[in-house]
Amino acid sequence: MTIAIFIAVALGIGAGILVIPPTIIPHMGSLITFGLCLLLFFVGIDVGRQGDLLKKIREMGFRILLVPFMVALGSVLGTMAGGLLLHIPWYQAGAVGAGFGWYSFSAIELSKHSAQLGTLAFITNISREVMALVSIPFVARYIGKLESIAPAGATSMDVTLPIISRSTDGNVAIIAFITGVVLTAIVPVLVPFLMTFG
Amino acid sequence: MDILLYLVIIVAGGFIGYRRMLKPSILNRLDFFQSGALLLLLFIMGVNIGLDETVIASFATIGLQAVVLAGFSIIFSVIGVKMVSAHILHRKGDSR
Repeated sequence: MTIAIFIAVALGIGAGILVIPPTIIPHMGSLITFGLCLLLFFVGIDVGRQGDLLKKIREMGFRILLVPFMVALGSVLGTMAGGLLLHIPWYQAGAVGAGFGWYSFSAIELSKHSAQLGTLAFITNISREVMALVSIPFVARYIGKLESIAPAGATSMDVTLPIISRSTDGNVAIIAFITGVVLTAIVPVLVPFLMTFG
Repeated sequence: MDILLYLVIIVAGGFIGYRRMLKPSILNRLDFFQSGALLLLLFIMGVNIGLDETVIASFATIGLQAVVLAGFSIIFSVIGVKMVSAHILHRKGDSR
């Protein structure tokens, strides 16, 4: 799938440079919104299928929700701080960070505002996923097991879950999965919300 | 406006998934459609990038900015969880 993703983006870039006329740009926004709705509907079904999630949270204590909350806060404040260094408007940098590593949604949503911001979100969130894959075992060993969920962001429910699980234990893996689900549910609200400050 | 639309759609999907209103055979086919929809969207995003000459010209700069932003988001997230981890794990009494 990863290769297919890169091929789809590369083909799109090639088509944009060589084939597709710029007159199509005004129609792109609504096409993207329709596609995103379709994508979110499927993601909703996936989340709903984890039926007993609330029961699991109740068993472990609602305080475990502090983990996704702090990951969300850290991600947004972190990219805002980075944006300050790079002279990127705070709300745009925050919106890029609010992708939490879920590059497809954040990049596509932000590409409605500008191709540049969409590209930045795409590469930032892919970089986050790659950095997470590399840093999770290190963070788990030297900083803390629970902290190893943080680099993963929204990907802690799928792509990076096996690495978190191998680097920590069963309890942390369950918290990681719950964190990923909560963050995934927040992204579609937080990314467009931050862009309203523009 | 989009936020509300996204929220309604994700909740509607969640309800359908939670109530198991779709058979596994349909769900398997949905996975295929999901991948197809995602690839189509990424293609459209690529077209948007390709149509914008300034983005193509500044690809290296954007790449560097992306690495900085990703690094900051990870570092701040780890610090954030570090601030609350003792509270969470102490009450649970294990996992560390």
